[in-house]
Amino acid sequence: MIQVEQLSKTYGPARAIEKLSFEVEKGEIVGFLGPNGAGKSTTMRILAGALGATSGRARIGGIDVFEQPKRVKAMVGYLPERPPLYTEMTVRAFLRFCAHIKGAKDPARAVERSIERVGLKEVANRYIDHLSKGYRQRVGIAQAIVHDPAVLILDEPASGLDPAQRVEIRKLVRELAEGATTVILSTHVLPEVEAICGRVIIIDRGVIRKVAPVDSLTSATGVSLEVQRPSQALLDALAAVDGVTEVADRGGGHVELACARDVREEVARVAVDAGLLRMGPTGGLEDVFLRLTGHEGEA
Amino acid sequence: MLWIARRELASIFSTALGWLVLTGFLLITGVFWVFGVDDYAMAVAGGVYNPYDIAGLNITNNLLLPFFGNCTVIVLMVTPALSMRLFSEEIKGHTLELLLTSPVSTGQIVLGKFLGAVGFLAVLLLCTAHIPISLYWIAEPDPGVLVGGYLALLLLGSAVLAMGMCFSAYTGNQVVALTVTFSMALALYVISFSETDPESFVNKVSVSTHVIDLIRGAVRTTDLAYFTAFIGFFLFATHQRLESFRWR
Repeated sequence: MIQVEQLSKTYGPARAIEKLSFEVEKGEIVGFLGPNGAGKSTTMRILAGALGATSGRARIGGIDVFEQPKRVKAMVGYLPERPPLYTEMTVRAFLRFCAHIKGAKDPARAVERSIERVGLKEVANRYIDHLSKGYRQRVGIAQAIVHDPAVLILDEPASGLDPAQRVEIRKLVRELAEGATTVILSTHVLPEVEAICGRVIIIDRGVIRKVAPVDSLTSATGVSLEVQRPSQALLDALAAVDGVTEVADRGGGHVELACARDVREEVARVAVDAGLLRMGPTGGLEDVFLRLTGHEGEA
Repeated sequence: MLWIARRELASIFSTALGWLVLTGFLLITGVFWVFGVDDYAMAVAGGVYNPYDIAGLNITNNLLLPFFGNCTVIVLMVTPALSMRLFSEEIKGHTLELLLTSPVSTGQIVLGKFLGAVGFLAVLLLCTAHIPISLYWIAEPDPGVLVGGYLALLLLGSAVLAMGMCFSAYTGNQVVALTVTFSMALALYVISFSETDPESFVNKVSVSTHVIDLIRGAVRTTDLAYFTAFIGFFLFATHQRLESFRWR
């Protein structure tokens, strides 16, 4: 559905992305992962047609983004980092405007459908100016899906939302992908990627570091440890654990182990013996919050 | 494109600024009209004692023409306030990205926004129509002046709006756009005031010389061409500016 070849973009002397190449299949949910300033937004803006590239090619649905921008834009829904909203309009009027300029087939129905899908029914006739951040973000998403695009590009769709709303957004994105919409979303919230993406593209300083299915990344192929002062004795003890193939002291108290199998249990035992163990609560804060606010089980 | 124009028009009416401009415009035109009628009435009253004084006095030349002349100045003052926000607000509110990523061309965006603003100007002008039209009840002024007058105001206003929209896109700042637009418009208006040679370059680039012909009811191709070129130039410049956003 999406093919990107050798895509580069420089802002003056500054390099934003360098020779990115990747492909996304139809109906896939791909997560763009990377620290701030890694080039996630730049890549997404190029795909959405808001920005030109310095070199390289990008095709969506087989159509070149730079040669036939109008045709590509008609099948792409894009939510920028900051949702583009005319705050003096009501939600419904704004979506009607979007449906028309984006060329939705049956604008009136498209508006109602997107209002329904994103859960904006109760605020549909209110001015966007008067809405909370969470609702505004939803209007931003409604705007992106109003013309029923084949590809959805979401730049930080869950930013500024509370955990319950995040869960809802995840659900929505999953539903869209089931309906054969291809989704690219960026985030720096890792649990989000784990929860909804099939594949991740990890990007850092404009270069792709890894493209892989989420499962393959989260199953243990290595263990990283934070140690205050890694002594040689500790490193030796870790290296002696069965299954550990390599111990690397990355400096600053960061120790990485490469291993052939899941060695976390043994490593923990070594760590306890060395007096290095730290404990946290069971479940994340997110789980606790969801339980207390009555959204348990939705994640 | 029409949807962009329609949204723009609605957006002007949904802000305090739009209503402020409308109120201010009607108030000042009304005041000018009252003063004009007053002056005319005084002149006529004076004619009772000295009929030769008012031999050439007529409603078209001494009431309607000055009224439209005054209106051009008011249009000059209020249109920069309308145009200043056209693109600076889109840039500030990040909504430009919505337009740029929609399947519409940059030309359609520029034209849509321009037509929306011109639509508001047309509403402004229509709201004053009762003033000159009321004259037809009591007299028979030259209809050419009425048509030419409104055409002149519309063209002048559109030209300033196009210029203001362009500055708004380039500066991205409302106050700067307003100041620059108003200064430029005023400069182009008064530049020919001290010029005596009608064939001089200054007279040809000045807005006021072209406006004055139109108000007299003389719709000439040169005047129309002047305004078309003026508007076209600034629409094109705005278009180029928007295109440049893709390459920054």
